[in-house]
Amino acid sequence: MVTPDLVSEEDIAKLIIPDDLPDEHPTFKAYIEAKVYDKEGHLMQYHRQPMRSLTQYFLALMSIPLIGTYQGASIDQAVGILTSVLGLPSSISSSQSANISWDWAIRLGSGTQAFSLSLTGLAAPILNGTGAGELSYGSLSVSYTNSAIILSLQVSNTTSNTISVTEIGITCTVYTQYNQTTVSTYSFLLSYDTFSTAVSVPALGMAVFQITLSFTG
Amino acid sequence: MVGKGIEDIDINMPKDAYDIGKDTPTFRAYLTIVVRDSEGKVVKVHRQKSHSPTANFIGLMLPLTYFNVTGSSFTIKSTGGSTYNYKPAISPTIQCISYPNSGYNYPSYIAMIQVGSGQQSNPYSTYSLAAPIANGSGTGQLVYGQPSIPSNITVSGSSAYFTVSQTFNNNSGGTVTITEVGIVTYLQFGGAYSTSPGFSGNILVWYDVLSSAISISNGGSVTIYYTFTVNP
Repeated sequence: MVTPDLVSEEDIAKLIIPDDLPDEHPTFKAYIEAKVYDKEGHLMQYHRQPMRSLTQYFLALMSIPLIGTYQGASIDQAVGILTSVLGLPSSISSSQSANISWDWAIRLGSGTQAFSLSLTGLAAPILNGTGAGELSYGSLSVSYTNSAIILSLQVSNTTSNTISVTEIGITCTVYTQYNQTTVSTYSFLLSYDTFSTAVSVPALGMAVFQITLSFTG
Repeated sequence: MVGKGIEDIDINMPKDAYDIGKDTPTFRAYLTIVVRDSEGKVVKVHRQKSHSPTANFIGLMLPLTYFNVTGSSFTIKSTGGSTYNYKPAISPTIQCISYPNSGYNYPSYIAMIQVGSGQQSNPYSTYSLAAPIANGSGTGQLVYGQPSIPSNITVSGSSAYFTVSQTFNNNSGGTVTITEVGIVTYLQFGGAYSTSPGFSGNILVWYDVLSSAISISNGGSVTIYYTFTVNP
């Protein structure tokens, strides 16, 4: 799309602010899927909905591959987004070197809350366990295809009552390693969504929650 | 234990289960290109959606769990074609992206927004521009300015964004035409007590073919803005 020529200087700042450019393919689509099985393994419910709510922490995390961690080739200070949004230090006190990595998890909850860019957690997280109202979390599975990252989590309900899941989020833990073995951690919520209809996991049943982050080229 | 597949079961499929192409994406990227003549007057503004992270970007975004569970590495390919088996972990001997510190630094930073005069159809597998325009004042070249990076994310209501930009001057003596654009990050990977990185290289992480070519006249300039936003 080409806007009219001879745009004034003051309009340029407005142009780089995001808005909608219609009739073009979206850059990114994300979906949340849930499959619920009864205690005999029969599929009871299949739910799929678009993910709607990424936080500012997702944007900050993706800035690392896009613009790096340093302000420049000869500036040994972290880029502002990492310090101001993620709260990472501008420079780690270390007699050796330092590096950064991160991990993700899917978290489920039984509450709801309004979305904000700076949400730090679910409204009512469902704990990992076998007690009342708890689900047994399996290991997160991560895979990728061309331009998509897929997260999958299996949970089991070992209690004698149905457990309703109404909210879901991707959490992130950023690790900085330095001085050989010292590790600092920083935790964030990358996305937050409520289900359009609650996902009910029956007693002794199980569910698989899958999130697909697709960068559609 | 999962007993039967979805095809065997009479399930209730909600209406929102289907991709009807009208969902509001939660992330977008934009390209804004401002062209000026030799007197600094804006002569064209080009805007388009940016579509294309490369495989390098996808690999760099993967969480530790992927590497821990699969035992696999991800092959990062530099613009020069050299490769690196990226496999981060929480271990002092494992190489991850470098971070600023008071000991040994090997910076990872944005190298440039690179422009080119070619195009290629599969951005995912792209690791370099098809025909990069060299930095200089020779025929067909542009003088690359320094990339500008944001100091923070800008928040507006429930959306947020940041913008990366770079200006290029045309001192070539003729018109130069841009048809492709990408973001190149210089990344260095090292352990938590390394005195030198295990791998260093220019990595193409984002790539776009322009929906229409952009021409910069001699003496003119072009500024390219990449904007990344959530919940637009």
